[in-house]
Amino acid sequence: MSDVYLGGTGLACVLGDDVPSVLASLRRGGVPPTPVAVAEGIHWPVYALAPSEGDWTQRLCRTVRSVAAQTGDWGPRTAPLFVASSSLDIGFMEHEKQDLRLGGDLQDFADVVARALDWKGPVFTVSTACTSALNAVLAAADLIRSEEADEALVIGIELDNRFTVAGFGAMQLLAPDRAQPFGAQRKGLVLGEAVAALRLTSRPARWQVAGGANVVDGRNPSGTEATAVHAMCRGALAQSGLRPGDIDLIKVQAAGSPVNDAIEVEALKQVFDPLPPLVSLKSAIGHTLGAAGAAELALLVGCIEDGVWPSVDYPLDASLGIALSKEAPRKLRNILLNVVGFGGGHASLVLKDAGP
Amino acid sequence: MSTWHATAHFIAHPPPVDWRDDLARRIGRRPRRVGLWTELAMYGARCCLDAADEAALPAGARIRVASQRGAWGATHAGLTQLDAGLPMPFTFMQSQPALMLAEVGRCLEWQGDASFALCRDAARALQLAKLGAARDGLLFGIVEEERNDEPPRTEWWRLVPA
Repeated sequence: MSDVYLGGTGLACVLGDDVPSVLASLRRGGVPPTPVAVAEGIHWPVYALAPSEGDWTQRLCRTVRSVAAQTGDWGPRTAPLFVASSSLDIGFMEHEKQDLRLGGDLQDFADVVARALDWKGPVFTVSTACTSALNAVLAAADLIRSEEADEALVIGIELDNRFTVAGFGAMQLLAPDRAQPFGAQRKGLVLGEAVAALRLTSRPARWQVAGGANVVDGRNPSGTEATAVHAMCRGALAQSGLRPGDIDLIKVQAAGSPVNDAIEVEALKQVFDPLPPLVSLKSAIGHTLGAAGAAELALLVGCIEDGVWPSVDYPLDASLGIALSKEAPRKLRNILLNVVGFGGGHASLVLKDAGP
Repeated sequence: MSTWHATAHFIAHPPPVDWRDDLARRIGRRPRRVGLWTELAMYGARCCLDAADEAALPAGARIRVASQRGAWGATHAGLTQLDAGLPMPFTFMQSQPALMLAEVGRCLEWQGDASFALCRDAARALQLAKLGAARDGLLFGIVEEERNDEPPRTEWWRLVPA
């Protein structure tokens, strides 16, 4: 059995095209969402990537190459590649003529990504809505732990498309203005675009992927289920050989939903007593859906290593009885990252600082 | 845990004419607001578990589903509704693999590790599903809607480590 480490990260999101520019933007206070029209007179805010030249596929390929390159040199590129996305290439399909749409299959998107990277290794698609990237990390970790691979590249991708924005809007899950995780005035989530890359490796590095868990509960397909939150946290802790008291920081889901944020807090309180410090990243980059697990992990690690921390410039909901940390905890050995998603998906990952 | 064996293999390709009635009989209700692809997945998963003579999937088992085309019909319909500026909450939901996983779990009255993953080499997807799985094993399905002259298919295996 090999241990699994985080050997590199890459990120492009509303805040910038690479981790240093993302952190610099966060330090300056971040970037507001921009309105996206989904139908005549209907707009929703989205934390969008900066506009760039080219058609949808050209922008995808250019961004993927840039973000993957941030994780270092891959040599012959024969490692497994995991492409995690909720929307896949629906943004491309929107621009196709109706009778040409969906002529291929669900693996086409990952094939385009692999070609952009000149990738030679096996290519997997993972699509489980908001938990896609964390599920890809769990699968890649299985490969490395079982010594089927020394390394794997996980890329989470959510690019511009009206389909997803319109779908979430139609389900009345979106906020009309901005994301306010755990906020007193929270009105829903705000979507975000991102491409994030995680290099997983058996070679020791500072951050160890100590364990994780994925729990699907279909009883509430658009919401958080408390027993599934319990199960994902306890499963991730058990695989990591840790107890609740060993966790020093929780990166919460907290998408800004009036109901789901409250369920998440109550469920976490039932596992962690007392609650460790909490951090939320969605007010900075939005909910990046299938990319969220990779994007928020890359951002959080960058924040810790660079001494930057997301500010909370809105009042929190006092009835939740929680606070969001204003800086990285001084003692920071074990971090729990939680992602809860559309379709009843709940996933947790334990990241351990394996440094001296 | 390198050796596995199948305790059941269920294939419906195509499903029988009365498969929807059969599904309703098996799970005690008619699925509501569920797309064709998801319903095919529910039918195959339930039939496979019945064939394995298991009333319930153990909590420690995994569900893994693969599909080349996924919820093609719902996705196509959703794009058409988007073009027309129509709201499409149910069509959008039906287009999502995650909703299929949720409904499969719900019809099995099961909470656990379910995922949708695919690879051009289907054997690799199955191999990946087995890695790290617990002793409760795996319920693995391939589900496809009808395409051109190819009939719908829902094929499932209940696999456990030897």
